[in-house]
Amino acid sequence: MRRAPGSPRHWPRHAIMIAVSFLMLIPFYWVIKTSLTGENIYAWPPRILPVDPHLFNYVDVWYLIPFGRYLLNSTIVTAMAIAGSLLFNVAAGYALTKHFPGRRWIVVLLLSCMLIPFQATIIPAYLITSWLGVLDTWLGVALPLLSTIICIFIFKASFEAVPPSLIDAARVDGLSEWRIVTRILLPLSKSAIATNVILTFIWSWNSFLWPLITIRSPEMQTLPLGLARFLSVMEDTTGALFAFVVLVLIPGLAIFLMAQKEFIRGLTSGATKG
Amino acid sequence: MTSKTTWFQRKRTRELALVVCFLLPSLAIFFLYRILPLGWNAWLSVHAWSPLKAAQFIGLEHYEEMLLDDDVFWQALANTLIFIACSPLAIAAALGIALLVNSDLRGAAVYRTIVFLSYPLMTVAVGIIWRWLYDERGGFFNYVLRSTGVIDQPMKFLQSFDWALPCVILADFWQVLGFYMIILLTGLQSIPQHLYEAARVDGVPARARFFRITLPLLKPSIFLCIVVGILNSFTSFDLVYVMTNGGPGHATELLITYIYKAGFGQTRFDYAAALTVVQFLLLVVLTVIANKLSGGNAGSLERQ
Amino acid sequence: MSRATIRRALGHRFVAVPLALIVVVVAWNVYIAFNDHGIIEGEVTDRTGAPVIGATVVFFERNFIYYEEKQRAVTDAKGHYRFSDMKTHIGQLEARTDDGRKSARRQLRLWFRSQDTEVAPLVVETPRS
Repeated sequence: MRRAPGSPRHWPRHAIMIAVSFLMLIPFYWVIKTSLTGENIYAWPPRILPVDPHLFNYVDVWYLIPFGRYLLNSTIVTAMAIAGSLLFNVAAGYALTKHFPGRRWIVVLLLSCMLIPFQATIIPAYLITSWLGVLDTWLGVALPLLSTIICIFIFKASFEAVPPSLIDAARVDGLSEWRIVTRILLPLSKSAIATNVILTFIWSWNSFLWPLITIRSPEMQTLPLGLARFLSVMEDTTGALFAFVVLVLIPGLAIFLMAQKEFIRGLTSGATKG
Repeated sequence: MTSKTTWFQRKRTRELALVVCFLLPSLAIFFLYRILPLGWNAWLSVHAWSPLKAAQFIGLEHYEEMLLDDDVFWQALANTLIFIACSPLAIAAALGIALLVNSDLRGAAVYRTIVFLSYPLMTVAVGIIWRWLYDERGGFFNYVLRSTGVIDQPMKFLQSFDWALPCVILADFWQVLGFYMIILLTGLQSIPQHLYEAARVDGVPARARFFRITLPLLKPSIFLCIVVGILNSFTSFDLVYVMTNGGPGHATELLITYIYKAGFGQTRFDYAAALTVVQFLLLVVLTVIANKLSGGNAGSLERQ
Repeated sequence: MSRATIRRALGHRFVAVPLALIVVVVAWNVYIAFNDHGIIEGEVTDRTGAPVIGATVVFFERNFIYYEEKQRAVTDAKGHYRFSDMKTHIGQLEARTDDGRKSARRQLRLWFRSQDTEVAPLVVETPRS
């Protein structure tokens, strides 16, 4: 017997979920409150509501630190990662839909590469990047993210779902392979493209360890590096640091909320595989 | 007839050339940044090498130094294991939330979004947020504890030898809870409803339904969560770096932060490579154990 | 492309949100371009509301943790003063008269550098007469 959604038996669940949501949102609230308050943030006791709230901490942050520069670096690196990964992943996904000798071995190889976490490779990856001469450049920071195995398999699955008659008809019409991909397969794989874009965006935007290793000069630093540097350099009694944190979080949150479904689908496609 | 075979052969080679062409960039990236580093790590760990001198084979000397002389390594290893051991708590909590949210609750999507909101955030920002929450002057925890009279003096959470690691683990818990919930939700939604109906018709009580139907069918998702939990101790570099930088006195040092310090702080690439090899072996061993515990074959089940 | 497809494409969240963002950023920059001459002006009055003529208004600029004097202006016959070509976004204002009366230090915070602002009146004590 199914219960109606609004029935009274659901109230305990709502109560628990509201409590859980409240606990999960407290860190957000505390930081936003601190970034808006006009008082000395270290004074005891801290107020629950911001005292004399004003937005000028955000203005201070904009001028105090090279926020524009950090934003530019992060954006360029992320744009390169997204563009490159779309190109490489689509190509690799398409190649894997074809049957060729050794296909099984390549798939096994890729799956086993997935087991190697990035953190187990940082030392040699640094040496390789330095040997390639792209240390301290945008390309060097974007390079490891130019192809990811999850996205290749998402594209492969998406391409395999296209009825082969369409592809054969296009081939009879004389289209080259790449044209087949762009004209026929990609327009039918919009959600795979969106998943690739959002996953690569989140991984590239939030990555800290790799830029920390690769970037040597202050003017090439990305947003996470700028944030960490600001933390160690400034210790003032205003909420400027937290205004910086809020400013940094807003793009990530906005993009996530815009593309929530695709992001979750990309994360769980690894769960339902195998 | 010969012209036909040549045409066919040319088409096959063309197709092969195309496949190679399309696969090459991706394979190059994976080779450069996944496979080659694995081998290079192993090679570096048995050589003495610095960027100025040539490499020199020294066998297992680095491992000797690590296991016998290096207290920081053992501390980092212990901390990493504690970190990993706390992930089942997070998984259990996420399972509870997933069960609550999975029912036909009004507004379940809102609850899901709120719990998952913390996952796509920049981990550095999360570290700064939680560092502020733990602050002894303006932080939330001290405020609550002192206001309710539990403690009198402000407590320096991140500077105490006992509390620093649990505090970092709690911050990570907050961030990763949403991810576990999503994975478990996906697993829950793939359980066919007719099993529950049949059990209800047979008069099976709710608790037995949970343990006999839900849990076994969730094994693949739980296994994935455990693997993510193990990997989490590696990706928590950002959190530890921002919150405590391994302190106080290596109380929150994880293997990954120690690798970073050895490799890029002390510039001992060879020793850091040896540490990386040990960390990777730890990952493999723990994953295999988790696999065995969840019934082998990555937790997937045979059809009954 | 027909009107219907354009409207559908614009309504899609992946297009509408970045477009809205770009519009906001452009509008903000246009606003800044029109209002960034660096003019800070206001008037000095006493407690009864009468304008104070010939008072000196001092502008302090923030220098890390303290404020140092940067510029002075004198109020005209109507009690108005005007700083021009200011380049900062944070500072303090104080009015002083020749006979030693001072106003409270007013904190000034702007939304962007060189923003044109009109400040609320600086109030000095009414002269004893």
